[in-house]
Amino acid sequence: MKRTQEAFSVLGIFDTPDALIRAIGEVKGKTGHRLEAYTPYPVHGLDRALGYRKSPIGGMVFVMGFIGAVSALVLELWTSGWDYPLVTAGKPVLSWEAFVPILFEITVLFAALAAGLGMLLLLNRLPALRHPMLRTRSMALLTRDRFGLAVESAGEPLDTEALAALLGKAGALEIEVVEPSPARGPASPTALATGLAMILLACLAAAGTTYWGIKLFPRVIPMVHMLDQPRLDPQSGSPFFADGSGMRPPVEGTVSQGAPPYLPRSRQEAEGLVNPLPGTAAVFRRGRAAYDTHCAVCHGLLGNGEGSLTAAYGARPTRLTAGAARELSDGAIYHVIVTGKNAMPPYASDLTEDERWAAVHYVRVLERALDALDTDFQEGAR
Amino acid sequence: MRGNSRQVTMLAGALGLAGVAAAFFFSARERFWINWVLWFLFLLTTGLGSLFLVALEHVVGARWSVPLRRVPETLASLVLPMGAAALVALLSLGTLYPWTSAEGLRDPLVAGKAAWLNEPFFALRVAACVLLWAASYRVLAGGSRRQDRTGDPRFNRRARRFAPLFMVILGLTITVTAFDWISSLEPAWYSDIFGVYVFAGAFLAGLAATTLFALHLRGAGRLDGVGPDHLHNLGGFLFAFTVFWSYIGFAQYMLMWYANIPEEVFWYEARLEGAWGGILLALAVFHFLVPFLVLIPRAVKSDPRVLLRVSLLMLAMHWLDLYWMLFPSIGGAPVFGWPELSFALLFLSGGILWVRRIMDGGATMPVGDPFLREGLEFRL
Repeated sequence: MKRTQEAFSVLGIFDTPDALIRAIGEVKGKTGHRLEAYTPYPVHGLDRALGYRKSPIGGMVFVMGFIGAVSALVLELWTSGWDYPLVTAGKPVLSWEAFVPILFEITVLFAALAAGLGMLLLLNRLPALRHPMLRTRSMALLTRDRFGLAVESAGEPLDTEALAALLGKAGALEIEVVEPSPARGPASPTALATGLAMILLACLAAAGTTYWGIKLFPRVIPMVHMLDQPRLDPQSGSPFFADGSGMRPPVEGTVSQGAPPYLPRSRQEAEGLVNPLPGTAAVFRRGRAAYDTHCAVCHGLLGNGEGSLTAAYGARPTRLTAGAARELSDGAIYHVIVTGKNAMPPYASDLTEDERWAAVHYVRVLERALDALDTDFQEGAR
Repeated sequence: MRGNSRQVTMLAGALGLAGVAAAFFFSARERFWINWVLWFLFLLTTGLGSLFLVALEHVVGARWSVPLRRVPETLASLVLPMGAAALVALLSLGTLYPWTSAEGLRDPLVAGKAAWLNEPFFALRVAACVLLWAASYRVLAGGSRRQDRTGDPRFNRRARRFAPLFMVILGLTITVTAFDWISSLEPAWYSDIFGVYVFAGAFLAGLAATTLFALHLRGAGRLDGVGPDHLHNLGGFLFAFTVFWSYIGFAQYMLMWYANIPEEVFWYEARLEGAWGGILLALAVFHFLVPFLVLIPRAVKSDPRVLLRVSLLMLAMHWLDLYWMLFPSIGGAPVFGWPELSFALLFLSGGILWVRRIMDGGATMPVGDPFLREGLEFRL
């Protein structure tokens, strides 16, 4: 218990930064202990006077900035190029131009956090709530207009009288011997309970404010830029066109590319249509993609009429792989896709002609899969 | 030795003058005038960037830069001869600028701008800009020179009050200069941020020229007391503004790339085609990437040898940037022949001789400034 009586440091107070730097020059080299300066604001030249080595913060920031840049790039390549490729504004999926702003921001974020938190927490070891200096008389002066130079102990005993004389000779106006902090005791149950209660209270306050805030001010939209724009919604009129209608019919006598007009008027007329696509693996894959995207919610992934939507609506979609549906011709299925049937809406605008025929192929595959032949599993079978 | 180097510069200038005269008679008119516009803009933006650096010191009350201030003040004097060169360049309007002809005005996009783009108003704007620059130079740099003799501290207060006004003046005039002299070469094109982009290049050029000139004077023992800490701040400025230039340049490009509007992208289309695309890539690498990476370490920012090289590189890149903006407007692939070389010789040696003459006409530091001592004592 002798250590508690030993001093943490001997502190000299100076009234100008110049006096402090001069004193450092005089004290330095005359004692084997560590020197530390306390100033109310950054003083130019202090690091040089104390002989601090180069700070590692620059290297830390560079490395973190680099990691930030690489993570941003990987994130963007993965999300936009691999996981969820989405064509935006007709640009290629992997457009480096669009990646740059996010790359830049995340690099800056990582670098700034590394600089700020690295300096405060790692290098300065803040918050030093139990630092011995906080219990001294001089601290109030040192955060206002005085400058302190301390000879600090790193566990070894200090010769306080000799050090006080040394600092006094260097021009210190006042000397204070700083006692070490008392040893840390265990946290009291009341303090723990108070802390937990405060966290709970803060959560409740945040939740309550959010809940009632949204209830009371539901129509306050923080940014309206893209909601409020001059655009034409479907079915809305527009004074721009002579007939006052916003939606335009196709130009007379023309057809869209890849979408020739569909001529059959009834299923009977459609019976004669022949699937123009070959039954290759590539076509099956395309048909599967179209089927799984548009048809499977009702008809089921297996074509058994048990899709994920049926439970919600109580509808009874056709079982494509059983009974009467198996007898339908390709043309009849195609006709239903284009024009719809009963509760099923037309899918002509969702699927291109090729996708529709590929989906018809895939329905045949599903039917065949229910009672497949041994030969189907042989290598190279269609 | 110094007299010797002056003679060499004069010889180079005379050679350049002969070449420029020959270019007037023997090369295409467009090529002559586009070179003229390029070179007067190069020195003009360098001077304006330097004057902005001077104003910046007054606005923020910086002390570290007081011992260095005479350097950008002297470089800013380039706006006087280059103002005259801008007035001469008015002769190029009929040759270079399509909006001067009835044919050019047939494009409805250009016709809509006829209220702005017409010869009398253009000449009026140029004259107004030149007057404003000359007046600003007189207040900021002339006042500082007068203070050398009088030591009157009232100058500091006057400069401090005028400097923010100058920043507004510069913001407007450099935007007008960028729109008029550069983007109206292809008058259908427009970009709101273009003035900022030209300003970013101008400030970087001013910084690079200031650093280069300060290193030169310091090497000759004429900036006693300017130490590595002062250089470090210049290096920091250079470092920061390479990023600013790239940020603005990319912001302009990315929005146009995204929106893909024909009257915007045609400008970039012409500047990405073939060898022009290579020049843009060179700008990205040597105007941004290389100086950015080189200037990251702390010790490098105060290393005179590195700063010298980076400053030279930045000035060369500012030239290349202007070349890349201006030359595609006369059509064809990038050219660099004897006319370009002659213009470079004439304007560079002329600029060097002019700046040196101004510098030799007085003290190399603002010796009358009451804050000079504080500036000399500056340590990081």
